[in-house]
Amino acid sequence: MPDFIEPLRRRLVELGCPLAQVRRLVREVADHREDLKQAALSEGLSGADAEARANAQLGDPLVLAEHLMAALRRSSWWGRHFVIGFGVLPILAVPVLWTLFLMLGLSLEFALGFGWDWKKLHVAADNPVAFHHLVLALHGADYVAIALVTLLFCWLARRSAVSLKWMVTSCAICSLYALITWGRIEPHSFTLGFTISLSMTQQWIRAAIPLLIAGAIYILRRRTTHGFQEKVAV
Amino acid sequence: MKKTNPSFLNGIPELLVLRLLSRREMYGYQIVEEIRTRTGEALSFGEGCIYPYLHYLEAEKQVSSQRREVEGRNRNYYKLTARGRKRLEELTTEWKRVTTGVSLLMEEQYA
Repeated sequence: MPDFIEPLRRRLVELGCPLAQVRRLVREVADHREDLKQAALSEGLSGADAEARANAQLGDPLVLAEHLMAALRRSSWWGRHFVIGFGVLPILAVPVLWTLFLMLGLSLEFALGFGWDWKKLHVAADNPVAFHHLVLALHGADYVAIALVTLLFCWLARRSAVSLKWMVTSCAICSLYALITWGRIEPHSFTLGFTISLSMTQQWIRAAIPLLIAGAIYILRRRTTHGFQEKVAV
Repeated sequence: MKKTNPSFLNGIPELLVLRLLSRREMYGYQIVEEIRTRTGEALSFGEGCIYPYLHYLEAEKQVSSQRREVEGRNRNYYKLTARGRKRLEELTTEWKRVTTGVSLLMEEQYA
């Protein structure tokens, strides 16, 4: 069935349909096409005519792929409300999620490093070498928190099959927040805040994380599409 | 449903699919054909477009699917779940309420 199924599969991949969904949709459409063909054969049509009629009933595979993708998007809240989900919601949710992930990360580090013992933490804060390690641990948890928030929105975008621009939009919002939010640790104190000052190198490193993730996903997606097309061409 | 169906038909595909699956498990082609023939071709799903809809219902846990071989053909069979049955009851009640209301108005107009 190279004349119908492969163009359908290729177009679904190009449109950014998750690969698991591509496999399942293509398999079911192929089953459906075979059923249409069998129905035509039972009416006395020849094999070629039956195949032609099945193809005609399914229509242009490229148009069918567009319809399948539209139906796929409509089937999830994120796909139906992509402007709210990837344009508005990140503006409200990113600071909250970042704080949540950062606190979870710091709690994990506190549990692993100090066994939930506040006395040990205060002793470490008074020791310059140990305090330097605390600062590094905070930076690590901070970077991971930013990456997790970004990946969460990327995952939702991928899962709901919205266009790449909405995934990039949510990544850009994450980047903007990473530029203006900060977490700071001093001996015996820890603060979170917002600032518009763009002079700190660390802020620019934080802002680069969501953009790097968006870039990596974009390259990965392009490679998947190209790899798939080369496989089909062979 | 076909793109030309007016917006007030939104929700009817769910009702029709759940209703058909409440009687027996079916695969996509069967559902499309049953809807077409049993509604006197008044309603029809675009060929192939039923599948994202069935996947959505499956994600909502209203139907479950299983791929198996019957008479030499492998197909995905869909069947109603307990949640789907409850949803069908809700949609049926709502449908009856709406159609009764519309009927009353239409009878009044043409009486």
